[in-house]
Amino acid sequence: MHASDLAVDVLLALGVASELLCVAGVLVMRTTLDRLHYAGAATSVPALLVLAATLVREHMSAAGLQALAAVGLLFLLNPALLLLTARAAWRSDESEER
Amino acid sequence: MLLAALAPLLVVASLRRPVDGLVALEVAGTVATLALVCLSVGLGESLFFTVAIVAAVASWIGGLVFARFLGRWT
Repeated sequence: MHASDLAVDVLLALGVASELLCVAGVLVMRTTLDRLHYAGAATSVPALLVLAATLVREHMSAAGLQALAAVGLLFLLNPALLLLTARAAWRSDESEER
Repeated sequence: MLLAALAPLLVVASLRRPVDGLVALEVAGTVATLALVCLSVGLGESLFFTVAIVAAVASWIGGLVFARFLGRWT
């Protein structure tokens, strides 16, 4: 087994484990904002670990660049979505209090 | 394992408040995109990378629309 294969395995295992941790956080947390915290984390650390595993295996080939585009889109676009969802949650809480 | 994480998110989306369901839907989009990236590397099929990119954009647009209308209707 080469060192690069080992690196791919470790990065992929870490990425999947941290993604599952984020899913568990969404399931377990009580408030919507706490859940949103874990939803935001799901697109940062786990996604970058999976991307790193992909780039170690594929290098900067067409497949590697496409993986970079997919994870980059997740990483860059998701904060706007989280912000809008937090606003919707805030309005929902506000209307429930009335 | 990533695909197995979609089932509890579906439960959250169907049983809890609509806003919590939206959060679960967003996470499900992320999980599905990462699963597609892993599948395309594992199968060596570069077409799946395009599907992953489209899934990332489509789940983002869908989440935006849901969040916008959820904020307006509540």
